[in-house]
Amino acid sequence: MTAPILVVGEVQAGHLTSPTLECITVGQHLAAGQAPVIGFVAGSSARSVADEFSHVGVARVVVVTDATLDTALVAATAHAVAAAAERVGADTVLVGGTTFGRELVGRLAIRWNASAASSVTEVRKEGDALHVRRPIFGGRATETRRLDGPRFVLALRPHTFPVPPDAAVPSNIEEVPLPSLPPGLLVARRTALEPTSEGVGPSLGDASIVVSGGRGVRTAENFHLVEELAAALGAAVGASRAVTDAGWRPSSFQVGQTGRSVSPQLYIAVGISGAIQHLVGMLSSRVIVAINSDASAPIFRVADYGIVGDLFQILPALTAEIRRVRGL
Amino acid sequence: MEIVVCLKPVPEAETRLRAATDGRALDSEGVKFVLAGYDESALEQALLLKESIAGSRVHAVSYGPGPRTEEVLRAAIALGADLATWVEAPPGTALDPIAAARALAAAITSVPHDLILCGKQAGDDEAGLVPPALGELLSLPEFSSVVDLRWDAGTSRFRFLRSTEEGGERWESSGPCVMGLQQAWNDPRTAKLPNILRSRKATIARRPLEPVPAGPRSESERFELPAPRTGARMIEYKTPAEAAQQLVRLLREEAKVFP
Ligand SMILES: Cc1cc2nc3c(=O)[nH]c(=O)nc-3n(C[C@H](O)[C@H](O)[C@H](O)COP(=O)(O)OP(=O)(O)OC[C@H]3O[C@@H](n4cnc5c(N)ncnc54)[C@H](O)[C@@H]3O)c2cc1C
Ligand SMILES: Nc1ncnc2c1ncn2[C@@H]1O[C@H](COP(=O)(O)O)[C@@H](O)[C@H]1O
Repeated sequence: MTAPILVVGEVQAGHLTSPTLECITVGQHLAAGQAPVIGFVAGSSARSVADEFSHVGVARVVVVTDATLDTALVAATAHAVAAAAERVGADTVLVGGTTFGRELVGRLAIRWNASAASSVTEVRKEGDALHVRRPIFGGRATETRRLDGPRFVLALRPHTFPVPPDAAVPSNIEEVPLPSLPPGLLVARRTALEPTSEGVGPSLGDASIVVSGGRGVRTAENFHLVEELAAALGAAVGASRAVTDAGWRPSSFQVGQTGRSVSPQLYIAVGISGAIQHLVGMLSSRVIVAINSDASAPIFRVADYGIVGDLFQILPALTAEIRRVRGL
Repeated sequence: MEIVVCLKPVPEAETRLRAATDGRALDSEGVKFVLAGYDESALEQALLLKESIAGSRVHAVSYGPGPRTEEVLRAAIALGADLATWVEAPPGTALDPIAAARALAAAITSVPHDLILCGKQAGDDEAGLVPPALGELLSLPEFSSVVDLRWDAGTSRFRFLRSTEEGGERWESSGPCVMGLQQAWNDPRTAKLPNILRSRKATIARRPLEPVPAGPRSESERFELPAPRTGARMIEYKTPAEAAQQLVRLLREEAKVFP
């Protein structure tokens, strides 16, 4: 017997995020055609997103349009998701493993009394249990966990699963009310939203391609070489701590143990030696490219492709080549 | 202000990871466990707040087996924590983040708490689930990826900035919340020798683990190291343009990372 699977939609700039779409694919795989995959979305403008949701292969969409949710308080969303999961009789809730998704999963594990895992890259159902794989120790190891039923909440690692094709026929949308919330949850309020401090282009945590520069770039002014390559690739820009410590770029750019962990499809390290504290933030990237003038730099030991050379010559050539093949 | 900070002992960064003989978890034989990563930032932030608000105390809480858990709490005292509580896990307990959140919540409920700081994710399991689960257990809001946090005495509010996929979010809160701190934007301090010596004799409140209510569990069943990357495929070239062409061709045709 298989129960319905609920996919929680995350909204950015008025649209469903691609990690949400990836969850639909995984939901369909788990349901194996024996149960519906149901979409869930909340927020005062969730109605238009629900329309979008109804076209991406879910059997129906449950929507909560309550303004309380607009301050993006995950706690409120978790209560709404738990109520919706009960209502539709779901046994599994899936969400993209973003900041929002992981917070939601932690809260739902308690609220909905479910076993939970984050950063999931593989899911397998066996009897009453789920077996999930996830990177740990900054991608230096992988664990397989057994999650006991009957309920599961999973945050899936972004950029890991394919997105589903658009559906020919839109599914139904059902509006449900927001359950009442404990007052303690509402003491905080969002006062401002600032665009990503990483500048234009996708943000670091989100991007499917990241280009990072290190001390080899030498000055703040030279960093534009890294940024131009990133722009040509539609990539986010990252940096080693040598760069953020020197103040060439703000600390929000830093990748590594004391910065951000990223796991894009492609990570290009430019003028970065490959210290362990940097590696733990990017090792779980699918494909790693290193550009470094020192053939013995440790970064080459973890890279898939390497170019030994002077970044001041290689980067402009690479940016030009990418622009050429992408017709930019 | 009573600031609780949750600290998890994790293997030091340089640890050579190996699977235990049963293949289920990390072999912790000979591994040194330390206070590291985001938890170090959380403690530093707690100490900075304490220094800026008269009459504040920092209370370090950790759940885990001895001796590593006790040692991490002593390290926190040496750095300036005023109180420490050790929720004891029997040796060999596999720590699951949700069970950890339940153990920590039981300890935190019985002590004063105006603010609860955690790391955004632990350096080992990297789950990021304990802070939100704690928030739900304590019926408090929770904010992960906090990168800056101040107390505004004029309005009696916490003001903080978090960094999410969408950008920077500024928040304020007039009441207690749980936060997961993101990065060492605050360079964590190091302990002074006399404080280290004193911390060896400091009292640590020990709390036995209460029987966990029967509930959904998760358990590690396999610990694997990635197949060693065989070393980079080095691109041979005569001119930078040729290097660029070869790399782009390999990325498209072999690695298939873009069309
Ligand atoms: C507790 C702790 C936490 C840390 N956290 C982080 C972290 O989160 N992130 C992080 O990145 N680091 C972190 N570090 C620092 C880390 O140990 C390294 O010092 C840092 O990553 C080095 O940065 P880098 O590779 O840019 O510089 P370097 O190690 O100096 O390497 C520069 C590289 O550039 C190459 N190069 C020079 N000129 C050129 C050229 N013209 N063309 C091509 N290549 C060139 C050189 O061959 C060299 O390999 C941390 C350290 C500690 C102790
Ligand atoms: N066993 C534990 N004892 C104390 N704090 C913990 C424990 N496990 C997790 N935490 C806290 O919760 C944060 C996130 O942990 P995790 O959810 O496991 O990634 C850590 O950075 C710690 O601040």
